[in-house]
Amino acid sequence: MNLSDEPLDLEARLRLDESGKVAARFCFTSAVLWLLIGTLFAVVASFKFEFPDWLQSWGPTAFGRVRPAHLNAMIYGWASLAMLGESLWLVPRLVHVPLKWPKVALVGAWIWNIGLAIGIITLLGGRSDGLEWLEMDRYWVVPWLVVGGGCVGASILYTVVSRKVQHLYVSVWYIASSFVWFPIIYVTGNYPFYHGVESGAANWFYAHNALGFWLTAINLGAIYYFIPKILGRPIYSYQLSLLGFWTLSFFYALNGMHHLVGAPLPTWMIATSIVASVLMVIPVGAVAVNHHMTMVGRFRALRFSPALRFIVLGAMAYTAVSLQGTFTALPEVNRTTHFTHWTIAHSHMGVYAFVTLVLFGAMYYIVPRLVQKDWPRPALIGWHFWLVFIGIILYIVSLSFGGVFQGLAMLDPTTPFQASVDATIPYLWARSISGIVLAAGHLVFAYHYWLMIQPRPHVAPLPPWHEPKPTLVEPEATP
Amino acid sequence: MFPYSLAVLFVISGMGFLMMGAYLWAFLTGQFEDLDKQALLIFEARDFRLAREWELPTQCAERIEKYGPPVAPGPGEWGGRWS
Repeated sequence: MNLSDEPLDLEARLRLDESGKVAARFCFTSAVLWLLIGTLFAVVASFKFEFPDWLQSWGPTAFGRVRPAHLNAMIYGWASLAMLGESLWLVPRLVHVPLKWPKVALVGAWIWNIGLAIGIITLLGGRSDGLEWLEMDRYWVVPWLVVGGGCVGASILYTVVSRKVQHLYVSVWYIASSFVWFPIIYVTGNYPFYHGVESGAANWFYAHNALGFWLTAINLGAIYYFIPKILGRPIYSYQLSLLGFWTLSFFYALNGMHHLVGAPLPTWMIATSIVASVLMVIPVGAVAVNHHMTMVGRFRALRFSPALRFIVLGAMAYTAVSLQGTFTALPEVNRTTHFTHWTIAHSHMGVYAFVTLVLFGAMYYIVPRLVQKDWPRPALIGWHFWLVFIGIILYIVSLSFGGVFQGLAMLDPTTPFQASVDATIPYLWARSISGIVLAAGHLVFAYHYWLMIQPRPHVAPLPPWHEPKPTLVEPEATP
Repeated sequence: MFPYSLAVLFVISGMGFLMMGAYLWAFLTGQFEDLDKQALLIFEARDFRLAREWELPTQCAERIEKYGPPVAPGPGEWGGRWS
Protein backbone atom coordinates (compact mmCIF):
# COMPACT_ATOMS: atom_id res chain seq x y z
CA MET A 1 0.00 0.00 0.00
CA ASN A 2 1.40 3.38 -1.03
CA LEU A 3 0.79 5.70 1.92
CA SER A 4 1.61 9.39 2.00
CA ASP A 5 0.91 12.33 4.32
CA GLU A 6 1.15 14.88 1.51
CA PRO A 7 -1.77 17.35 1.43
CA LEU A 8 -4.51 16.79 -1.11
CA ASP A 9 -5.08 19.10 -4.02
CA LEU A 10 -8.47 20.77 -4.19
CA GLU A 11 -9.85 18.57 -6.96
CA ALA A 12 -9.02 15.40 -5.07
CA ARG A 13 -10.61 16.72 -1.88
CA LEU A 14 -13.78 17.66 -3.76
CA ARG A 15 -14.03 14.07 -4.98
CA LEU A 16 -13.78 12.88 -1.37
CA ASP A 17 -16.51 15.28 -0.25
CA GLU A 18 -18.72 14.02 -3.07
CA SER A 19 -18.32 10.37 -2.08
CA GLY A 20 -20.28 10.47 1.18
CA LYS A 21 -22.57 13.31 0.25
CA VAL A 22 -25.88 11.47 -0.27
CA ALA A 23 -25.62 9.33 2.86
CA ALA A 24 -24.43 12.24 5.03
CA ARG A 25 -27.25 14.47 3.81
CA PHE A 26 -29.83 11.78 4.53
CA CYS A 27 -28.43 11.31 8.03
CA PHE A 28 -28.53 15.06 8.76
CA THR A 29 -32.08 15.44 7.44
CA SER A 30 -33.42 12.55 9.48
CA ALA A 31 -31.48 13.80 12.52
CA VAL A 32 -33.24 17.16 12.31
CA LEU A 33 -36.62 15.42 12.13
CA TRP A 34 -35.77 13.37 15.23
CA LEU A 35 -34.61 16.53 16.97
CA LEU A 36 -38.09 18.00 16.53
CA ILE A 37 -39.82 14.79 17.62
CA GLY A 38 -37.56 14.42 20.66
CA THR A 39 -38.11 18.06 21.58
CA LEU A 40 -41.89 17.63 21.50
CA PHE A 41 -41.64 14.66 23.89
CA ALA A 42 -39.27 16.67 26.11
CA VAL A 43 -41.66 19.58 26.47
CA VAL A 44 -44.60 17.30 27.22
CA ALA A 45 -42.59 15.32 29.79
CA SER A 46 -41.29 18.49 31.43
CA PHE A 47 -44.72 20.11 31.88
CA LYS A 48 -46.04 16.94 33.47
CA PHE A 49 -44.00 17.90 36.53
CA GLU A 50 -46.12 21.05 36.91
CA PHE A 51 -49.37 19.49 35.70
CA PRO A 52 -49.19 15.79 36.65
CA ASP A 53 -52.70 15.03 35.36
CA TRP A 54 -52.15 16.63 31.96
CA LEU A 55 -52.44 14.05 29.13
CA GLN A 56 -52.27 11.32 31.73
CA SER A 57 -55.48 9.49 30.88
CA TRP A 58 -54.19 8.28 27.50
CA GLY A 59 -51.41 5.69 27.76
CA PRO A 60 -49.06 6.91 25.00
CA THR A 61 -48.82 10.37 26.57
CA ALA A 62 -48.21 9.14 30.12
CA PHE A 63 -44.94 10.34 31.66
CA GLY A 64 -43.53 6.82 31.86
CA ARG A 65 -43.75 6.50 28.07
CA VAL A 66 -43.07 10.03 26.86
CA ARG A 67 -39.88 10.42 28.89
CA PRO A 68 -38.08 7.34 27.43
CA ALA A 69 -39.42 8.28 23.99
CA HIS A 70 -37.71 11.68 24.43
CA LEU A 71 -34.44 10.13 25.53
CA ASN A 72 -34.32 7.55 22.74
CA ALA A 73 -35.38 10.00 20.04
CA MET A 74 -32.61 12.37 21.12
CA ILE A 75 -29.80 9.84 21.66
CA TYR A 76 -30.44 7.40 18.81
CA GLY A 77 -32.33 9.79 16.53
CA TRP A 78 -30.89 13.28 16.71
CA ALA A 79 -27.41 12.77 18.14
CA SER A 80 -26.52 9.40 16.63
CA LEU A 81 -27.78 10.19 13.14
CA ALA A 82 -26.12 13.60 13.09
CA MET A 83 -22.91 11.91 14.24
CA LEU A 84 -23.22 9.32 11.47
CA GLY A 85 -23.58 12.16 8.95
CA GLU A 86 -20.63 13.99 10.50
CA SER A 87 -18.48 10.83 10.35
CA LEU A 88 -19.49 9.96 6.78
CA TRP A 89 -18.36 13.40 5.69
CA LEU A 90 -15.24 13.69 7.83
CA VAL A 91 -13.61 10.28 7.47
CA PRO A 92 -12.94 10.42 3.69
CA ARG A 93 -11.32 13.84 4.19
CA LEU A 94 -9.18 12.51 7.02
CA VAL A 95 -7.91 9.35 5.34
CA HIS A 96 -7.75 10.74 1.77
CA VAL A 97 -9.94 7.99 0.32
CA PRO A 98 -13.48 8.28 -1.08
CA LEU A 99 -16.12 6.74 1.18
CA LYS A 100 -16.28 2.99 0.62
CA TRP A 101 -19.68 1.36 0.13
CA PRO A 102 -21.64 4.64 0.24
CA LYS A 103 -24.84 2.84 -0.78
CA VAL A 104 -24.42 0.39 2.09
CA ALA A 105 -24.07 3.37 4.45
CA LEU A 106 -27.22 4.92 3.02
CA VAL A 107 -29.19 1.68 3.36
CA GLY A 108 -27.82 1.35 6.90
CA ALA A 109 -29.06 4.82 7.80
CA TRP A 110 -32.51 3.94 6.45
CA ILE A 111 -32.59 0.71 8.48
CA TRP A 112 -31.51 2.64 11.59
CA ASN A 113 -34.35 5.12 11.05
CA ILE A 114 -36.94 2.39 10.52
CA GLY A 115 -35.79 0.56 13.65
CA LEU A 116 -35.87 3.73 15.68
CA ALA A 117 -39.36 4.62 14.45
CA ILE A 118 -40.55 1.15 15.50
CA GLY A 119 -38.79 1.65 18.83
CA ILE A 120 -40.45 4.97 19.58
CA ILE A 121 -43.87 3.69 18.55
CA THR A 122 -43.52 0.60 20.70
CA LEU A 123 -42.29 2.70 23.64
CA LEU A 124 -45.34 4.92 23.34
CA GLY A 125 -47.42 1.75 23.12
CA GLY A 126 -46.07 0.70 26.51
CA ARG A 127 -43.47 -1.88 25.46
CA SER A 128 -40.24 -1.09 27.29
CA ASP A 129 -37.30 -3.12 28.57
CA GLY A 130 -37.26 -0.80 31.57
CA LEU A 131 -33.53 -0.06 31.54
CA GLU A 132 -32.18 3.48 31.24
CA TRP A 133 -30.94 4.18 27.67
CA LEU A 134 -31.94 0.61 26.74
CA GLU A 135 -35.69 0.99 26.88
CA MET A 136 -36.32 -0.03 23.27
CA ASP A 137 -37.32 -3.66 22.84
CA ARG A 138 -34.28 -5.86 22.45
CA TYR A 139 -36.04 -8.31 20.12
CA TRP A 140 -38.18 -6.02 17.96
CA VAL A 141 -35.97 -2.96 17.73
CA VAL A 142 -32.35 -3.63 18.64
CA PRO A 143 -31.65 -5.90 15.62
CA TRP A 144 -32.62 -3.04 13.29
CA LEU A 145 -30.16 -0.70 14.98
CA VAL A 146 -27.41 -3.34 15.04
CA VAL A 147 -27.81 -4.06 11.32
CA GLY A 148 -28.29 -0.41 10.31
CA GLY A 149 -25.46 0.87 12.46
CA GLY A 150 -23.34 -2.06 11.34
CA CYS A 151 -23.81 -1.09 7.68
CA VAL A 152 -22.74 2.51 8.32
CA GLY A 153 -19.89 1.36 10.57
CA ALA A 154 -18.68 -1.13 7.96
CA SER A 155 -18.59 1.63 5.35
CA ILE A 156 -16.62 3.94 7.65
CA LEU A 157 -14.20 1.32 8.95
CA TYR A 158 -13.55 -0.04 5.45
CA THR A 159 -12.76 3.52 4.38
CA VAL A 160 -10.29 3.87 7.27
CA VAL A 161 -8.68 0.52 6.47
CA SER A 162 -8.27 1.60 2.82
CA ARG A 163 -6.55 4.83 3.89
CA LYS A 164 -3.94 6.55 1.75
CA VAL A 165 -2.37 8.50 4.62
CA GLN A 166 0.59 7.10 6.51
CA HIS A 167 -0.51 8.49 9.87
CA LEU A 168 -3.97 8.55 11.39
CA TYR A 169 -4.94 12.04 12.54
CA VAL A 170 -6.29 12.07 16.11
CA SER A 171 -9.87 12.58 14.85
CA VAL A 172 -9.62 9.26 12.97
CA TRP A 173 -8.56 7.51 16.17
CA TYR A 174 -11.60 8.87 17.98
CA ILE A 175 -14.13 8.25 15.21
CA ALA A 176 -12.89 4.84 14.06
CA SER A 177 -12.60 3.58 17.65
CA SER A 178 -16.12 4.65 18.46
CA PHE A 179 -17.42 2.53 15.57
CA VAL A 180 -15.65 -0.46 17.16
CA TRP A 181 -16.59 0.34 20.76
CA PHE A 182 -20.24 1.16 20.26
CA PRO A 183 -21.35 -2.22 18.79
CA ILE A 184 -19.56 -4.01 21.64
CA ILE A 185 -21.20 -2.01 24.41
CA TYR A 186 -24.60 -1.91 22.70
CA VAL A 187 -24.77 -5.67 22.24
CA THR A 188 -23.43 -6.21 25.77
CA GLY A 189 -26.02 -3.85 27.23
CA ASN A 190 -28.83 -5.58 25.37
CA TYR A 191 -27.67 -9.12 26.18
CA PRO A 192 -30.93 -10.66 27.47
CA PHE A 193 -29.78 -12.94 30.27
CA TYR A 194 -28.83 -10.63 33.14
CA HIS A 195 -30.56 -11.04 36.46
CA GLY A 196 -30.94 -8.85 39.52
CA VAL A 197 -28.17 -6.40 40.30
CA GLU A 198 -26.08 -7.72 37.41
CA SER A 199 -28.68 -6.14 35.17
CA GLY A 200 -28.04 -2.80 36.89
CA ALA A 201 -24.29 -3.17 36.46
CA ALA A 202 -24.65 -4.02 32.76
CA ASN A 203 -27.15 -1.18 32.33
CA TRP A 204 -24.81 1.48 33.67
CA PHE A 205 -21.81 -0.05 31.96
CA TYR A 206 -23.71 0.55 28.72
CA ALA A 207 -25.33 3.89 29.47
CA HIS A 208 -22.17 5.60 30.67
CA ASN A 209 -20.02 4.15 27.92
CA ALA A 210 -22.55 5.14 25.30
CA LEU A 211 -21.84 8.68 26.41
CA GLY A 212 -18.06 8.26 26.56
CA PHE A 213 -17.30 5.87 23.73
CA TRP A 214 -19.99 6.97 21.30
CA LEU A 215 -21.28 10.51 21.83
CA THR A 216 -18.07 11.90 23.31
CA ALA A 217 -15.57 10.13 21.10
CA ILE A 218 -17.04 11.15 17.75
CA ASN A 219 -17.59 14.73 18.82
CA LEU A 220 -14.10 15.10 20.28
CA GLY A 221 -12.85 13.84 16.93
CA ALA A 222 -14.94 16.52 15.24
CA ILE A 223 -13.65 19.24 17.58
CA TYR A 224 -10.06 18.26 16.82
CA TYR A 225 -10.88 18.73 13.14
CA PHE A 226 -12.97 21.88 13.10
CA ILE A 227 -11.14 24.18 15.52
CA PRO A 228 -7.74 23.95 13.79
CA LYS A 229 -9.34 23.86 10.34
CA ILE A 230 -11.33 27.06 10.81
CA LEU A 231 -8.53 28.89 12.60
CA GLY A 232 -5.96 27.78 10.03
CA ARG A 233 -3.49 26.74 12.69
CA PRO A 234 -2.60 23.26 13.92
CA ILE A 235 -3.71 21.98 17.29
CA TYR A 236 -1.58 23.38 20.13
CA SER A 237 -0.04 20.05 21.14
CA TYR A 238 -0.55 16.96 19.04
CA GLN A 239 1.19 14.93 21.76
CA LEU A 240 -1.47 15.98 24.26
CA SER A 241 -4.24 15.08 21.83
CA LEU A 242 -2.92 11.52 21.59
CA LEU A 243 -2.47 11.34 25.36
CA GLY A 244 -6.13 12.37 25.70
CA PHE A 245 -7.31 9.70 23.27
CA TRP A 246 -5.35 6.80 24.72
CA THR A 247 -6.10 7.62 28.34
CA LEU A 248 -9.81 7.93 27.53
CA SER A 249 -9.73 4.59 25.77
CA PHE A 250 -8.08 2.85 28.74
CA PHE A 251 -9.87 4.54 31.66
CA TYR A 252 -13.39 5.23 30.45
CA ALA A 253 -14.80 1.68 30.28
CA LEU A 254 -14.56 1.41 34.07
CA ASN A 255 -16.56 4.56 34.81
CA GLY A 256 -20.18 3.41 34.63
CA MET A 257 -20.48 1.90 38.10
CA HIS A 258 -20.16 5.31 39.73
CA HIS A 259 -23.89 5.63 38.99
CA LEU A 260 -24.43 2.81 41.48
CA VAL A 261 -22.69 4.18 44.56
CA GLY A 262 -24.59 2.68 47.47
CA ALA A 263 -26.10 -0.12 45.36
CA PRO A 264 -25.74 -3.77 46.44
CA LEU A 265 -22.75 -4.42 44.20
CA PRO A 266 -19.26 -5.64 45.14
CA THR A 267 -17.35 -2.77 46.74
CA TRP A 268 -14.39 -3.25 44.41
CA MET A 269 -16.57 -2.48 41.40
CA ILE A 270 -17.74 0.84 42.81
CA ALA A 271 -14.27 1.72 44.13
CA THR A 272 -12.61 0.92 40.80
CA SER A 273 -15.17 3.02 39.01
CA ILE A 274 -14.62 6.00 41.30
CA VAL A 275 -10.84 5.74 40.82
CA ALA A 276 -11.31 5.55 37.04
CA SER A 277 -13.62 8.57 37.20
CA VAL A 278 -10.92 10.55 38.99
CA LEU A 279 -8.34 9.37 36.43
CA MET A 280 -10.54 10.90 33.74
CA VAL A 281 -9.03 14.22 34.80
CA ILE A 282 -6.05 13.25 32.61
CA PRO A 283 -7.82 12.95 29.22
CA VAL A 284 -10.18 15.79 30.04
CA GLY A 285 -7.31 18.04 31.08
CA ALA A 286 -5.39 17.13 27.94
CA VAL A 287 -8.36 18.01 25.73
CA ALA A 288 -9.19 21.19 27.65
CA VAL A 289 -5.64 22.54 27.61
CA ASN A 290 -5.24 21.68 23.94
CA HIS A 291 -8.45 23.32 22.79
CA HIS A 292 -7.95 26.38 24.95
CA MET A 293 -4.35 26.92 23.87
CA THR A 294 -5.31 26.49 20.22
CA MET A 295 -7.91 29.22 20.66
CA VAL A 296 -5.68 31.62 22.60
CA GLY A 297 -5.24 34.83 20.65
CA ARG A 298 -8.05 33.83 18.26
CA PHE A 299 -11.18 34.18 20.39
CA ARG A 300 -12.33 37.02 18.12
CA ALA A 301 -13.03 34.31 15.55
CA LEU A 302 -16.17 33.46 17.52
CA ARG A 303 -17.63 36.74 16.25
CA PHE A 304 -17.15 35.66 12.65
CA SER A 305 -17.77 31.92 12.58
CA PRO A 306 -21.06 30.52 13.91
CA ALA A 307 -19.75 26.98 13.48
CA LEU A 308 -16.71 27.77 15.59
CA ARG A 309 -18.77 29.48 18.29
CA PHE A 310 -21.04 26.44 18.69
CA ILE A 311 -18.09 24.05 18.65
CA VAL A 312 -15.92 26.00 21.09
CA LEU A 313 -18.81 26.33 23.55
CA GLY A 314 -19.42 22.61 23.14
CA ALA A 315 -15.75 21.94 23.87
CA MET A 316 -15.92 24.09 27.01
CA ALA A 317 -19.03 22.20 28.10
CA TYR A 318 -17.12 18.94 27.60
CA THR A 319 -14.50 20.08 30.10
CA ALA A 320 -17.15 21.29 32.54
CA VAL A 321 -19.34 18.19 32.37
CA SER A 322 -16.40 15.82 32.65
CA LEU A 323 -14.95 17.53 35.71
CA GLN A 324 -18.44 17.69 37.19
CA GLY A 325 -18.76 13.94 36.52
CA THR A 326 -15.52 13.22 38.36
CA PHE A 327 -16.67 15.39 41.26
CA THR A 328 -20.12 13.77 41.35
CA ALA A 329 -18.59 10.27 41.42
CA LEU A 330 -17.02 10.99 44.83
CA PRO A 331 -19.18 9.26 47.49
CA GLU A 332 -19.35 12.41 49.62
CA VAL A 333 -20.91 14.37 46.75
CA ASN A 334 -22.92 11.47 45.39
CA ARG A 335 -24.65 11.06 48.74
CA THR A 336 -26.32 14.42 48.20
CA THR A 337 -26.82 14.48 44.43
CA HIS A 338 -27.93 10.89 43.76
CA PHE A 339 -31.65 10.51 42.93
CA THR A 340 -32.01 14.27 42.43
CA HIS A 341 -32.44 16.63 39.49
CA TRP A 342 -28.69 17.33 39.63
CA THR A 343 -28.20 14.16 37.57
CA ILE A 344 -30.63 15.40 34.91
CA ALA A 345 -28.76 18.72 34.72
CA HIS A 346 -25.47 16.81 34.43
CA SER A 347 -26.70 14.57 31.62
CA HIS A 348 -28.06 17.57 29.70
CA MET A 349 -24.76 19.36 30.10
CA GLY A 350 -23.16 16.34 28.44
CA VAL A 351 -25.63 15.44 25.74
CA TYR A 352 -26.84 18.96 25.00
CA ALA A 353 -24.30 21.62 25.98
CA PHE A 354 -21.42 19.48 24.72
CA VAL A 355 -22.68 17.00 22.10
CA THR A 356 -25.57 18.92 20.59
CA LEU A 357 -23.75 22.26 20.37
CA VAL A 358 -20.81 20.57 18.63
CA LEU A 359 -23.24 18.87 16.23
CA PHE A 360 -24.96 22.18 15.44
CA GLY A 361 -21.57 23.74 14.74
CA ALA A 362 -20.47 20.81 12.60
CA MET A 363 -23.69 21.00 10.59
CA TYR A 364 -23.27 24.73 10.02
CA TYR A 365 -19.88 23.92 8.52
CA ILE A 366 -20.70 20.72 6.63
CA VAL A 367 -24.18 21.28 5.18
CA PRO A 368 -23.20 24.22 2.90
CA ARG A 369 -20.51 21.99 1.49
CA LEU A 370 -23.03 19.20 0.92
CA VAL A 371 -25.65 21.29 -0.84
CA GLN A 372 -23.15 23.77 -2.33
CA LYS A 373 -25.10 26.76 -1.07
CA ASP A 374 -24.57 29.12 1.82
CA TRP A 375 -27.11 29.31 4.65
CA PRO A 376 -29.88 31.55 3.24
CA ARG A 377 -30.90 33.55 6.39
CA PRO A 378 -27.88 34.42 8.55
CA ALA A 379 -30.12 36.14 11.11
CA LEU A 380 -31.71 32.77 11.88
CA ILE A 381 -28.30 31.42 12.92
CA GLY A 382 -28.08 34.21 15.50
CA TRP A 383 -31.58 33.45 16.76
CA HIS A 384 -30.77 29.76 16.93
CA PHE A 385 -27.56 30.35 18.86
CA TRP A 386 -28.98 32.68 21.48
CA LEU A 387 -32.13 30.62 22.03
CA VAL A 388 -30.27 27.37 22.62
CA PHE A 389 -27.48 29.07 24.58
CA ILE A 390 -29.84 30.87 26.97
CA GLY A 391 -32.11 27.83 27.13
CA ILE A 392 -29.42 25.37 28.13
CA ILE A 393 -27.77 27.71 30.64
CA LEU A 394 -31.16 28.25 32.33
CA TYR A 395 -31.79 24.51 32.25
CA ILE A 396 -28.47 23.50 33.78
CA VAL A 397 -28.32 26.22 36.42
CA SER A 398 -31.90 25.72 37.60
CA LEU A 399 -31.80 21.94 37.84
CA SER A 400 -28.32 21.89 39.39
CA PHE A 401 -29.35 24.21 42.22
CA GLY A 402 -32.73 22.48 42.52
CA GLY A 403 -30.99 19.10 42.69
CA VAL A 404 -28.65 20.17 45.48
CA PHE A 405 -31.50 21.64 47.55
CA GLN A 406 -33.55 18.52 46.90
CA GLY A 407 -30.67 16.28 47.99
CA LEU A 408 -30.02 18.28 51.16
CA ALA A 409 -33.71 18.15 52.05
CA MET A 410 -33.79 14.38 51.50
CA LEU A 411 -30.75 13.89 53.73
CA ASP A 412 -32.31 15.87 56.56
CA PRO A 413 -34.25 13.38 58.73
CA THR A 414 -36.37 16.18 60.20
CA THR A 415 -37.67 17.24 56.78
CA PRO A 416 -40.70 15.33 55.41
CA PHE A 417 -40.13 13.81 51.97
CA GLN A 418 -42.93 15.90 50.52
CA ALA A 419 -40.98 19.03 51.49
CA SER A 420 -38.01 17.85 49.41
CA VAL A 421 -40.36 17.53 46.42
CA ASP A 422 -42.00 20.92 47.03
CA ALA A 423 -38.56 22.55 47.22
CA THR A 424 -37.90 21.62 43.58
CA ILE A 425 -41.05 23.17 42.09
CA PRO A 426 -39.59 26.63 41.21
CA TYR A 427 -36.61 24.93 39.56
CA LEU A 428 -38.88 22.61 37.59
CA TRP A 429 -40.78 25.64 36.32
CA ALA A 430 -37.47 27.15 35.23
CA ARG A 431 -36.65 23.86 33.49
CA SER A 432 -39.96 23.86 31.61
CA ILE A 433 -39.48 27.48 30.53
CA SER A 434 -35.95 26.69 29.35
CA GLY A 435 -37.44 23.75 27.46
CA ILE A 436 -39.74 26.12 25.58
CA VAL A 437 -36.76 28.36 24.75
CA LEU A 438 -34.75 25.36 23.52
CA ALA A 439 -37.72 24.14 21.49
CA ALA A 440 -37.96 27.57 19.84
CA GLY A 441 -34.26 27.36 18.97
CA HIS A 442 -34.77 23.91 17.46
CA LEU A 443 -37.69 25.14 15.36
CA VAL A 444 -35.56 27.99 14.03
CA PHE A 445 -32.75 25.59 13.18
CA ALA A 446 -35.08 23.05 11.55
CA TYR A 447 -36.75 25.78 9.48
CA HIS A 448 -33.38 27.11 8.37
CA TYR A 449 -32.20 23.59 7.52
CA TRP A 450 -35.40 23.03 5.52
CA LEU A 451 -34.76 26.28 3.59
CA MET A 452 -31.19 25.15 3.05
CA ILE A 453 -32.07 21.84 1.42
CA GLN A 454 -34.73 23.32 -0.86
CA PRO A 455 -33.70 23.62 -4.52
CA ARG A 456 -32.70 27.25 -5.14
CA PRO A 457 -31.98 27.52 -8.86
CA HIS A 458 -31.73 31.32 -8.67
CA VAL A 459 -28.84 31.12 -6.21
CA ALA A 460 -25.40 30.78 -7.75
CA PRO A 461 -24.05 27.34 -6.86
CA LEU A 462 -20.51 26.44 -5.88
CA PRO A 463 -19.11 29.02 -3.50
CA PRO A 464 -15.48 29.99 -4.05
CA TRP A 465 -14.16 27.21 -1.82
CA HIS A 466 -14.87 24.98 -4.78
CA GLU A 467 -12.87 27.09 -7.20
CA PRO A 468 -9.65 25.39 -8.20
CA LYS A 469 -7.97 28.78 -8.57
CA PRO A 470 -9.02 30.96 -5.64
CA THR A 471 -8.99 34.73 -5.79
CA LEU A 472 -5.99 36.44 -4.27
CA VAL A 473 -6.54 39.41 -1.99
CA GLU A 474 -4.14 42.22 -1.29
CA PRO A 475 -2.39 41.78 2.05
CA GLU A 476 -3.03 44.58 4.52
CA ALA A 477 -0.15 46.77 5.50
CA THR A 478 1.20 45.72 8.88
CA PRO A 479 2.60 48.09 11.47
CA MET B 1 -18.37 -11.47 44.05
CA PHE B 2 -17.93 -12.29 40.36
CA PRO B 3 -21.37 -13.66 39.48
CA TYR B 4 -22.79 -10.15 39.85
CA SER B 5 -20.52 -8.74 37.23
CA LEU B 6 -18.98 -11.44 35.10
CA ALA B 7 -20.22 -10.19 31.74
CA VAL B 8 -19.23 -6.62 32.47
CA LEU B 9 -15.85 -7.78 33.74
CA PHE B 10 -15.17 -9.79 30.59
CA VAL B 11 -16.24 -7.02 28.25
CA ILE B 12 -14.22 -4.34 30.06
CA SER B 13 -11.17 -6.62 30.00
CA GLY B 14 -11.77 -7.43 26.35
CA MET B 15 -12.00 -3.74 25.44
CA GLY B 16 -8.81 -3.09 27.38
CA PHE B 17 -6.97 -5.83 25.49
CA LEU B 18 -8.40 -4.56 22.21
CA MET B 19 -7.02 -1.08 22.87
CA MET B 20 -3.69 -2.55 23.96
CA GLY B 21 -3.58 -4.33 20.61
CA ALA B 22 -4.43 -1.09 18.83
CA TYR B 23 -1.72 0.71 20.81
CA LEU B 24 0.83 -1.94 19.83
CA TRP B 25 -0.20 -1.64 16.18
CA ALA B 26 0.09 2.14 16.39
CA PHE B 27 3.53 1.85 17.93
CA LEU B 28 4.79 -0.67 15.36
CA THR B 29 3.46 1.29 12.39
CA GLY B 30 5.03 4.55 13.51
CA GLN B 31 1.83 6.34 14.50
CA PHE B 32 3.69 8.06 17.34
CA GLU B 33 6.42 9.45 15.11
CA ASP B 34 6.56 12.85 13.37
CA LEU B 35 3.83 14.17 15.66
CA ASP B 36 4.20 17.81 14.64
CA LYS B 37 3.83 16.80 11.02
CA GLN B 38 0.78 14.71 11.85
CA ALA B 39 -0.92 17.80 13.26
CA LEU B 40 -0.87 19.25 9.73
CA LEU B 41 -2.66 16.28 8.13
CA ILE B 42 -6.06 18.01 7.95
CA PHE B 43 -4.83 21.07 6.10
CA GLU B 44 -4.61 21.98 2.44
CA ALA B 45 -2.30 24.73 1.26
CA ARG B 46 -5.32 26.97 0.82
CA ASP B 47 -6.30 26.70 4.51
CA PHE B 48 -3.17 28.52 5.61
CA ARG B 49 -3.58 31.28 3.05
CA LEU B 50 -7.22 32.18 3.65
CA ALA B 51 -7.61 35.74 4.90
CA ARG B 52 -9.21 35.64 8.35
CA GLU B 53 -10.93 38.85 9.41
CA TRP B 54 -10.46 38.15 13.09
CA GLU B 55 -6.69 37.94 13.00
CA LEU B 56 -4.58 40.77 14.33
CA PRO B 57 -2.25 42.54 11.89
CA THR B 58 0.74 40.75 13.41
CA GLN B 59 -0.97 37.39 12.99
CA CYS B 60 -1.80 38.23 9.36
CA ALA B 61 1.77 39.28 8.72
CA GLU B 62 3.04 36.05 10.19
CA ARG B 63 0.69 34.07 7.96
CA ILE B 64 1.74 35.99 4.85
CA GLU B 65 5.40 35.54 5.67
CA LYS B 66 4.99 31.79 6.10
CA TYR B 67 2.47 30.94 3.41
CA GLY B 68 2.39 33.75 0.86
CA PRO B 69 -0.27 36.23 -0.20
CA PRO B 70 -3.72 35.68 1.33
CA VAL B 71 -6.69 34.19 -0.48
CA ALA B 72 -10.24 35.56 -0.10
CA PRO B 73 -12.57 33.22 1.79
CA GLY B 74 -15.79 32.15 0.11
CA PRO B 75 -19.23 33.15 1.40
CA GLY B 76 -20.02 31.07 4.45
CA GLU B 77 -16.49 29.70 4.45
CA TRP B 78 -16.42 29.55 8.25
CA GLY B 79 -19.69 27.65 8.64
CA GLY B 80 -22.49 30.21 8.31
CA ARG B 81 -22.34 33.89 9.15
CA TRP B 82 -24.08 36.06 11.69
CA SER B 83 -25.43 38.73 9.36
